[in-house]
Amino acid sequence: MCDIIWCKKEVNGKPCDTINYLDPYYFWNWEGTINCAECGTVYYIHMIQGFMYRGPEERDGEKPDTSPIYADKPYDGYSSYRPGVNGRTRPFQCTPRKELLGVADMVKFSIRGRPVRGWRPQPPSAGLAGSHGFKWDIAKLSPEVWEEYQKKLAAGEVKDW
Amino acid sequence: MAQDPRVTRMEELPGPKSKGEMEEFKMPYEEYCKKLFDIGKEHTKPRPLKGIRWLSCTMYIFTPHAVANLAELGAEVIKLEIPRMGEPMRHTSPFNEVYLYPFSDMRPTTGTGLGYTNANPNKYFITIDYHIPEMREVFYSLVKKSDGMTELYRPGTLDKWKMSYRYLSEINPRFIYVWGGGFGYGPKIFGGSYDILGQAHAGLASITGMHEFMGGHCSKCTNWVIDWQSGNLISCAIMAAIHHRRKTGLGTMIEFSQVQVPTRMLGHTTTMYGKFGIVRQRWGNWDTQLAVHGIILCGKSDFPDAENPQDKYDARYVMVSAFQDRDFKELCDITGLKELYEKYKAHKDRVEGEAQVEIYGALERWAADKSRSEVAKFLTDAGLLAEPVRNDREVYESPHYRERGTVRWMEDPLFGDVLVHGGYSTGLMEKTPRRINWHWRPLGADNKKIYRDLLGFPLSKIEEWYKKAYI
Amino acid sequence: MPEKRDIEINSRADTIGLMDLDVRPYPVTPPPSYEEVKSTYERRKALEFCDWAEDNLRFEKRYEKDETLTGLTVLDIGLWRLGHKFCASLFGEAGAEVVSIEPPAGDPLRKLTPFGREEYFLQNKESGEKCGMEFVNETVNTYCVTLDVETAEGREIYKKMAANVDVLIDGMPPGYMDDLGIGYRQLKELNPRMVYVWMGMMGQWGPWKDKQSKFGQWMMEPFASAANSWIHNTGLAQDLLPRGKGGDPTRPAIWLADYVAGAQGFLNALAALYWRDEQGGTGQMIEVSGAEALLDILDFDITWYGFNSSIKSRTGGWDACLNQYAWNPCKDGYMMIGGQTDKLWYNIGFCLERDDPQFGRLIHEDPLLKEMAARNALHALIKTYTLTARWLRDTNRVEAETKLLEYQVAAGPVLYIDEVCEFPHFKYRPWVYVHETDYGPLLIASSPASYQLRAPFRCKWMGRDIGYDNYEIYLRWTGMTQSAVTAMKQKGVI
Ligand SMILES: [Zn+2]
Repeated sequence: MCDIIWCKKEVNGKPCDTINYLDPYYFWNWEGTINCAECGTVYYIHMIQGFMYRGPEERDGEKPDTSPIYADKPYDGYSSYRPGVNGRTRPFQCTPRKELLGVADMVKFSIRGRPVRGWRPQPPSAGLAGSHGFKWDIAKLSPEVWEEYQKKLAAGEVKDW
Repeated sequence: MAQDPRVTRMEELPGPKSKGEMEEFKMPYEEYCKKLFDIGKEHTKPRPLKGIRWLSCTMYIFTPHAVANLAELGAEVIKLEIPRMGEPMRHTSPFNEVYLYPFSDMRPTTGTGLGYTNANPNKYFITIDYHIPEMREVFYSLVKKSDGMTELYRPGTLDKWKMSYRYLSEINPRFIYVWGGGFGYGPKIFGGSYDILGQAHAGLASITGMHEFMGGHCSKCTNWVIDWQSGNLISCAIMAAIHHRRKTGLGTMIEFSQVQVPTRMLGHTTTMYGKFGIVRQRWGNWDTQLAVHGIILCGKSDFPDAENPQDKYDARYVMVSAFQDRDFKELCDITGLKELYEKYKAHKDRVEGEAQVEIYGALERWAADKSRSEVAKFLTDAGLLAEPVRNDREVYESPHYRERGTVRWMEDPLFGDVLVHGGYSTGLMEKTPRRINWHWRPLGADNKKIYRDLLGFPLSKIEEWYKKAYI
Repeated sequence: MPEKRDIEINSRADTIGLMDLDVRPYPVTPPPSYEEVKSTYERRKALEFCDWAEDNLRFEKRYEKDETLTGLTVLDIGLWRLGHKFCASLFGEAGAEVVSIEPPAGDPLRKLTPFGREEYFLQNKESGEKCGMEFVNETVNTYCVTLDVETAEGREIYKKMAANVDVLIDGMPPGYMDDLGIGYRQLKELNPRMVYVWMGMMGQWGPWKDKQSKFGQWMMEPFASAANSWIHNTGLAQDLLPRGKGGDPTRPAIWLADYVAGAQGFLNALAALYWRDEQGGTGQMIEVSGAEALLDILDFDITWYGFNSSIKSRTGGWDACLNQYAWNPCKDGYMMIGGQTDKLWYNIGFCLERDDPQFGRLIHEDPLLKEMAARNALHALIKTYTLTARWLRDTNRVEAETKLLEYQVAAGPVLYIDEVCEFPHFKYRPWVYVHETDYGPLLIASSPASYQLRAPFRCKWMGRDIGYDNYEIYLRWTGMTQSAVTAMKQKGVI
């Protein structure tokens, strides 16, 4: 075991079997205690140049210095704890928004309130051999969005900047 | 300094002057510049590269950008992509979150990722499969009508298909053929390349990032700098080749390797190694040749209550510059660090490594109870140079870029409301400005326009090709 | 081999000269031979094409070929920064006649040297004059003259020179030349065909235009990179390294915006000349700022903000858009691995699982990682790179590169400059080579536009003494005789 801690702690008669990932930059040279994201068991580790020089050694009753940033369970279809799950994983604050989705964001309006074609599915609109013209006939193709836009306009929610 | 030229020198200039011209000379300089560039009227002015037609057989950022520069300058650019799939950058989006639809009507749930941005504006998009001999003939008919092309395939690939310069110059001697890739002829000729490989391989990464004693690691420029800048430099070479062709009537071949580009931009690094055997290391947010001239961390964020973590946690850095003696003295005076001025009066003393560690350390301690904007304001009020390290929101809200039109909203013909920060920002041009017409277009969006309207193929033929996935 | 010497080293100064190219020849190991490279060409059955490329594009043939911009004259005035210099150098490399104006005391950039160490100044072999390495490297094929444009005589001379040039590059603060009566709006009356390129950090107009301190100190890089979120985006996240110890926004080590703006200045000017000459246009003003030139190449960042208020965060050696596409620490430094499409992604896996079967299992089994786009999610990057670094930890850069190249994966080590200079491909091309300059032989980087069939860019000379070309240029460009130039020198005008 080195850059991961595969926790085998028995919990309710079953091994925990959770993999706690020790991300390379944070832990490349690091000493301290870290919890398992699933069962909370605290491990002491000492990493030098990415090598687990000592550990992981169980430290019952100690408060962990840190948490893994990601953990998953191979025997549970790779169910996972993503960053920032309270008491389980470390937060990752350096992100572009407070909550990241990890999947396509369905956006119909830009931040100033005008329609932008950022959602799917779109009704087919191509001509011969996939050709397109130079016009988005939004009122015809997506009347519900067009309607919503009219309401936004009326409510003064559409800005220049 | 001179007497005010706006009053006295005007009449000395040759030729009669109209009233408008007289007025122009009396304007404050800033106002004059603003009038000159006349932001927002770009499309009413001529296109400098009108009449140039370029084929873009490109992928990713590097080679597409090399052609995007030409497209912004008014050349007609046709981008050729793989049928059905398109190029990989269409499938690239930050954290898998941002796509614009449609991609093509064959794949209604797929979008084009934001990674495609800025490298493909104004282009016409067609699809073509070069593996099909019939389509190569079609390609030749495009070559005969074009000024040049840019491609990025592994060396020898297009040669096997008789699409390399050796063959194309036979059918169009004026053709300018550009290969852009990682390495070019030589031992690593077949090595693949990316921006990040250029940053890593050519020395830039080894000097960017916090110094080892600070606990730092080599850092990448998050933005794909070597792709983009290599693209710029290819465009430079293309423009030079176009000028050469005006003299000689001959096309050429350019082989351009992005992996060497960072080395060319390392300034003294290579020479210092060659002459003195010194291997330049990382020096974090400071400067190896100027002090004080670096970024300091302040104690408080400007927006502690903001929702977005970038505002909330990271609005804490200020670029401070006071390297000239008087500036440095003033900086030390007003921050209570007079003893540092006494110690490091001469620039050559304060730019030494140990001195920099001491000075920036002292400045950060001074800034420990202040916010970013407090530090910047305090220093600029004292007449020194200091600016906050800005983020994307601040760029968007900047009155500077708005007034200069270098960040602007655009109604894209197919995708709607798109915020644009490329093209216009490459430089303002008084008489032949760059312009953006569209952000990009769906895969194969111009198949009919190019295959029929330009090349004259019957619609039934185009449809047949499309069904067979030839296009 | 140089003879053996007894040397006593008491300070850094005693080491100077011990490493110079005549003592420690470059390269340390010879470049690969053609025969070795030929076998590479043959393996891919591309020998004929590769031979054609070598015959027609080789760097060594650059001098025997034509130059592109012969006949074009360029005047460059500016201090301190590299933007206008890089732009002028590109014109020089492409064959234009470029004259750079400095004040009689010289450009202060000549005095800059790493950590203030004067022993790293280069010394002109003939005259003994010293100059900083940065200045020498970024002054390629340009004539150096001196002129004090703040004097009335200086301005008259300047006007005469500007009256006949094709391009004028202005690297002075906003409005400085205009205040002197020799800016674009005055000069365009004398020379309406002139393409005038202003180049700076932020712009010559607008709320954030270039500033000077109250003592006249200029804004220099990285002010431009700080103004457009380039720096904000660069560096490691505070979640991966402590803030203040590397987990901070980070500037690029080089004066990056200068190089990008310099390239755009050159490109825009050539487009303007094309319009002038091919389409019957005139001269014009162009303004390039470093901050905006970087804004153009800021990936998709501002567009993204307009889409859903995302503010790009820094991702260190990783990339938010591609997986794998990163460097991570390895046994002897940092190793870059890239492979995004399914084919390459699995190739990486196949390679790594040979040494670490668990890698293959944990990566290839995970349903989250099966789709290309989904692999770019932040947590997917964390998992992938943690497991990759576990392999890298036991692997050095050469081993990693060798193994990954067998799987056709783009992989390369993070190289330090000594390693860059010894990297076989760099030596073969060559991308760094020894150039004989007025300062003796120097190891320099070659121009990326040197590999062309007809008119490659090239470096002929770099660096010049202050005012080295005064007599020649003032004679040819303004008709001033030797005695007139000398008189102006005595008055401090030249
Ligand atoms: Zn556990």
